[in-house]
Amino acid sequence: MNLKEKMQRRLKLSRPSLRARARPPKHRTTLGAQFTAANLSTALALQHCKSCGHTQYPPTELCGICLEDQLIYQPADGAGVILAKTELHHSLWEYFKRRLRQGSWPLCSVALNSGPEVIAHLGSDHLKAGDPARVFSHTDASQQAVLIAVDANVDVSYPEARREIVSAMNLDIPAIKEDGL
Amino acid sequence: MDRPSIYARSRKEAPANESRVRLIITACDCPANTHGEHVVRNYEGIALVCPVSLGYAKQSSHGAAWYVGSVLREIIHSAGIAKSDVDGLAVSSFSLGVDSAIALTQHFGLSPRWIEQANMGGVSGIVALRKAARAVQCGEAQIVACIGGDGAGHRSFEATAAHFSSWSIDASFPYGAGGPNAAFSLITRHYMEKYGAKREDFARIAVDQRYNANHYPKALLGHKRLSTQDYLQARPIAGPLHLFDCVMPCAGGEGFLIMSEARARTLKLPFVRLLAADELHNAHPKDSVQDRGGWTEYMSALYQRAGVGPEDIDLLQTYDDYPVISMMQIEDLGFCEKGDGPRFVQETDMRFDHSGAPSRKLPHNTCGGQLSCGQAGSAAGYLGLTETIRQLTHTAGSNQVPRARHGLVSGYGMVNYDRGLCSGAALLARGDA
Repeated sequence: MNLKEKMQRRLKLSRPSLRARARPPKHRTTLGAQFTAANLSTALALQHCKSCGHTQYPPTELCGICLEDQLIYQPADGAGVILAKTELHHSLWEYFKRRLRQGSWPLCSVALNSGPEVIAHLGSDHLKAGDPARVFSHTDASQQAVLIAVDANVDVSYPEARREIVSAMNLDIPAIKEDGL
Repeated sequence: MDRPSIYARSRKEAPANESRVRLIITACDCPANTHGEHVVRNYEGIALVCPVSLGYAKQSSHGAAWYVGSVLREIIHSAGIAKSDVDGLAVSSFSLGVDSAIALTQHFGLSPRWIEQANMGGVSGIVALRKAARAVQCGEAQIVACIGGDGAGHRSFEATAAHFSSWSIDASFPYGAGGPNAAFSLITRHYMEKYGAKREDFARIAVDQRYNANHYPKALLGHKRLSTQDYLQARPIAGPLHLFDCVMPCAGGEGFLIMSEARARTLKLPFVRLLAADELHNAHPKDSVQDRGGWTEYMSALYQRAGVGPEDIDLLQTYDDYPVISMMQIEDLGFCEKGDGPRFVQETDMRFDHSGAPSRKLPHNTCGGQLSCGQAGSAAGYLGLTETIRQLTHTAGSNQVPRARHGLVSGYGMVNYDRGLCSGAALLARGDA
């Protein structure tokens, strides 16, 4: 990299994002991409070990319990309990920075009844630690699957219902720079 | 000082300078500890010398190699040895990029016969120390330089956070991209709800550390005072975490030398002895939210091997990426019972000079810790060690703890997904203690 390229790069990094449409982090590992693919057609699909029956999340190549190479994606029950809840006021990512100008961004961790503990966007603001919750997956504005936790009483068995929740969170549309570039 | 009865063993009762101590590790739910009885050799004859802290910069045009190499240069100068005398090198860094510790040997013109790369964040220093001490003890190397160094390019922290681990890429970073703040806000909120801790309790840790930093010229935030009110009124970052709960990523370099006690005496270097040290990683995997670390499984044995107890500790350095983690360590290291951390910090003066109001004195993170010095990547995992070596050799200067003889350093780190996986602890003593 010569000096000119270096200075151009520095300028690009230094200035605030001029991107008109900011999106959530798109980058995933190969396993994360597989998770997205497996979750396209269903409310929630998680890796299931054919050898020992363990349900695995985050996605891995081998079962975390028996280390066998027998993991396949299967539809999973999203029922669980909220472990902890938080709300972000600061983010490293432009999409969330723009969203945060409208208010804090709620997150939670959920212990699924099937075993794994997941971090998820929180779709039902009133939930607190210890409350029953339901977790489902949906593609975000970067076309990657993310998990969303809602009240256990919310019916998420239909794609329309899931889409409605995600739309209400503005997760399926980019964050537009409203005052122009 | 209050202490649980499990550690009720004074220095006099302990086996003095026993070369091999048998200990029984009780079974627990940690796979690492189910092997029952084993024997740990002590670290007799090992000396820690020449602590170097380069200082910190919020942003730097220098890379990690500059920081690691500069620490090496300063260490060699202060030891009065030749570069070729260093025959072992342990390096920790997140920002070496395509380079490794091996590449650095060519950069620095070193020909070590022993090399180690320990990139384990907050426990790097203790991991490097333990390995280097064994190498010297076994004669595989004579002088090992243990160095942590990291640069801080513009917005480099964003890149580190976005690509920290495969699990964070797939399953935590896409959720709000809060970096470690998100994971630790969940841990902090859970701890507050479970044990009734308040922000005022965490303030005790941050405020006393800032007082210490005000007396340590190299601390990045040492020129600023911090009151409890400043702490409580800071802007929110994530859930219960506010500005002064979060460390500032920065560049920096820390390091020290490991050699035999005999060599240190020959070179006339003030030295610190390693009484005992241990590690345990991914401990308590079944805890749904982290509120304890691997220390709970080995601290009583560690105190036994060292022949000291929590009441003998003159200064404590915990890994303070967030105050709740320091509180967790204070509990797990045996200074109080689990859940008693909030009361303990309220009733303890953690200033280096014992000048605070509470009657119980325990100087804690005596240079300000990362909360006030900044978090220099993997170098931050060496911060507690370099500071403790300075304190115990009485070379700390303006933030010297009076009459310091025994120091405890603990390490924690590597949030792979939802919790820090590493734990480490080292008990150090003044050369003549």
